[in-house]
Amino acid sequence: MASRRWTRTALAFTLFLAALAISIVVSLCVGRYSVSALRALEILGTAIMQPGRVVETMDERIVLLVRAPRVIIAAMSGAALATAGVALQGVFRNPLVSPEVLGISQGAAFGGALAITMGIWGVPLLLAVFVAGFLALILVGLLARIDGRTEIITVILSGMVIGSLFSAFVSLLQFIADPNSSLPAIVYWLMGSFATATWDRVLVSAPGLLAGMGLLWALRFRLNVLSLDDSEARSLGAHPDLERWLVFALVALIVGCQVAVSGIVGWVGLVIPHAARLIVGYDHRRLLPATAVLGAAFMVTIDTLARTVTAAEIPLGVLTAIVGAPVFAALLRRHYREREAK
Amino acid sequence: MKSQRPRVPLIPAAIACVLAMSPAVIPVFAEDIVVTDHENRQVVLTAPAERVVTIPMPMASGVIALSGGADTLVGLNPLSLTAIREGILGKIFPDALNISDAVTGTDFVPNVEALAEVNPDLVIQWGGRGPEIVDPLVNAGLTTLLIKYGTEELTREYMTMVATAIGKPERIDALVAWRDRVQQEIAAKTAGIAEADRPSVLYLGRSLSDITAAGNKGQYSSWYIELAGGKNAAAELDGSVSINREQIAQWDPEVILLNSFEPELDVSWVYDDPILSLTKAAQNRRVYKMPLGGYRWDPPSQESPLTWMWLAELLHPDLFNYDLRAEMTAAYKTLYNYELTDEDIDGIIWTAQQGTGLGYDQFAVN
Repeated sequence: MASRRWTRTALAFTLFLAALAISIVVSLCVGRYSVSALRALEILGTAIMQPGRVVETMDERIVLLVRAPRVIIAAMSGAALATAGVALQGVFRNPLVSPEVLGISQGAAFGGALAITMGIWGVPLLLAVFVAGFLALILVGLLARIDGRTEIITVILSGMVIGSLFSAFVSLLQFIADPNSSLPAIVYWLMGSFATATWDRVLVSAPGLLAGMGLLWALRFRLNVLSLDDSEARSLGAHPDLERWLVFALVALIVGCQVAVSGIVGWVGLVIPHAARLIVGYDHRRLLPATAVLGAAFMVTIDTLARTVTAAEIPLGVLTAIVGAPVFAALLRRHYREREAK
Repeated sequence: MKSQRPRVPLIPAAIACVLAMSPAVIPVFAEDIVVTDHENRQVVLTAPAERVVTIPMPMASGVIALSGGADTLVGLNPLSLTAIREGILGKIFPDALNISDAVTGTDFVPNVEALAEVNPDLVIQWGGRGPEIVDPLVNAGLTTLLIKYGTEELTREYMTMVATAIGKPERIDALVAWRDRVQQEIAAKTAGIAEADRPSVLYLGRSLSDITAAGNKGQYSSWYIELAGGKNAAAELDGSVSINREQIAQWDPEVILLNSFEPELDVSWVYDDPILSLTKAAQNRRVYKMPLGGYRWDPPSQESPLTWMWLAELLHPDLFNYDLRAEMTAAYKTLYNYELTDEDIDGIIWTAQQGTGLGYDQFAVN
C-alpha cells in the first residue's frame, strides 16, 4: 500500500516538475517582443555558459533582463505562496485558510499603498510592505492572546478584524491619493503584477521567499503533528502555540516578500494546496514540495498569459481569480462527492 | 440666477407645463444668459457669472484665461491647484494659489457645504460621468454647467459656453480663431506626408509605477500626434491601458512623449532604462516630457495650439517654421496679459532637463 502511494507520488512529482520546466521555457520564449524560441534558448544558453557577459542587443535584454527575472520571481512567488497556504491550512486544520485570513496580506498592502502615497519607491517600499505585514501579524497575535492562551478560532477572528482594519486604511489612502499619479499606481499594484520584475527585485525577494519555504520544509514533521488535535499534539511532545506562531511568522515573511515585489496575488495559496493534496495526499513531507512545484508552474503560466495575450498587461489578480475560482469550485464539489461516497 | 431646483411644487409645475407648450411665452428674459451644455441642459443665468467653481481639472486655468484674471474663479479641483502651483500660473496670478480646493474631492464628488461657503454663481462639472457627481449640485440649487472632454470640437464648445456664461463672449472668438488657424496650418502641411514618413509616436500617460499608453479611440493625445504628422505607436490599444516594457520594445517608437502629470518623471527615465534606452526614440534622443505652462500641455486646454506647434516642430522640423518662443510670448500676453521671460519659457518647456534632445536646439534663446 505504502509503496503504491510512493510510486504515485513519484509519478506526480515527475509530472509537476515537467510542467514547471515546460512553463518556464515557454515563458522565456514568448512575449510581446518577437524573439524566436530558438533564439531565446540560444541567448539563455550563452548567458549560462558565459555568466557576466554584457548584453547588447534588444532581444538579449528582453530575454535576460525582462523575461528571466520575471519568470524567476513568478516561480518563487507561486511556490512560496502555495507553500504558505499548505502550512496555514495544516495548522488551522481547515482547508479554506489562506494568508489573507491572518490579515497579513492586507497589512502588507497597506504598507505598500502608504509608501506609494508618500512617493516612496524601490527598497524602502519593500521595507514598508514587510514591516506592515509583520505589524498586522503582531496585532493579530496580541488580540488573539487571552489569558496567556491562543485559541485557533480567536486567531481567525482577530485576523479578520485586523485585516478589515488595514483594508479600511488602504481605502482611506486610495481616497486621498492623487488620481493622476499615486491612485492608479496603488490600484495597479493592489491588483498584482510581475511587470516590474528586475534582477534587483529577485535579489531582494529571493532570500525571504526561499528561507520561508525552507524553514516550512524543515517544520514538515511538526506540521503533521500540528494537524492533529492540540491535546494529541502535546502528547506527542509538540508545543502547538509556539510552533503555530513560528509558522505564522514564516508565512508573514513569505507574503511580505511577495507583496513587496509584485503586489497582492490572491488564490494561489488556496487553490494550489488543494490540487496538490488531491494528488499526493495529506502528509506534509510530500505535500509541501508538491505544492511548491505546482504553485511555481501555475504562477509562471498565469504570468505568461498576463503579459502575452493582449498588448495591455492583464492584472494578475484578475487572472488568478478567473482561473482559480472555478478550479476551486470544481475541487470542492469533487471533494465532497468523494467524501459522501466513502 | 438658479436654473434647476430640486423639487418643483405641483401647481407652479403645472402652470410651467402649460406655458412650455407655447414657445412664445417661455419665461426667459431678454438679458438672461442661456447656455445649452454638453448634456443638452439649458443653463440660465440672470447675469454673467462672477463667481465660478470648476470641478474638471483643465477648466480652472481656462476660466482664468477667459476671464483675464483669477478673481472669477472661487473654487477648483485640488489637482487644478497642483498644476497652478507646479506651473507658471501661480507666478502670474499669486492670488490663484489661495482659491478654495475644498469644493470637490479629486474624484469629482462635490463638497456641497464648501461650495455653499464660496457661494458660486456657476459650477462647472463633468457631464457624461453619471448623476452621482451632478445631483448634489442640482439638489443644492446651484447653477451647474456640464461639459464633456476628449476632442478638439468639445474643447472649443465648452470654452465658448464658459466664456458666454461669464459674460466674455468677445474673448472666446479670438481664442477659437487661433485654434482654428493653427490647426489648419498644421493640418495643411502634414496632410501630404506619406505614411512611411510619419514618425511613430508613443505618448505615455503614466510611467513611474505602472506604464500606460493610449490607443486611438477618443484620446486627445492620439489626435494631436496625427495632426502634427506622426502616427500613434499604440494605435492598437483600446483606450488608455497598462502595458509593459517589452511591448514598447516591440513597437519601437521613433518618438516618446512623457506626461507632465508626474513631477518626478523626466527623460532620464527612458535613457537610463536597459530596454527603453534601446528604442529608436532613445537612440536618436527623441524623448520629450510634455511642457507645463498655464496648464499641462497633454490634455486639451486654452494653450493647446502651443502643444501642436511644439510637437509639429519636433516631428517635422524641416516642414514647420514656428518661432515657438514668440508664439508662446504672444499667446501668454493674450491669455493671461503676461510677458513671458526667457527663463519662464525654458521652465515651461523643460529646457534644463531635455534641451539636448533632438530638435530642441530650435527652441533655444536666439
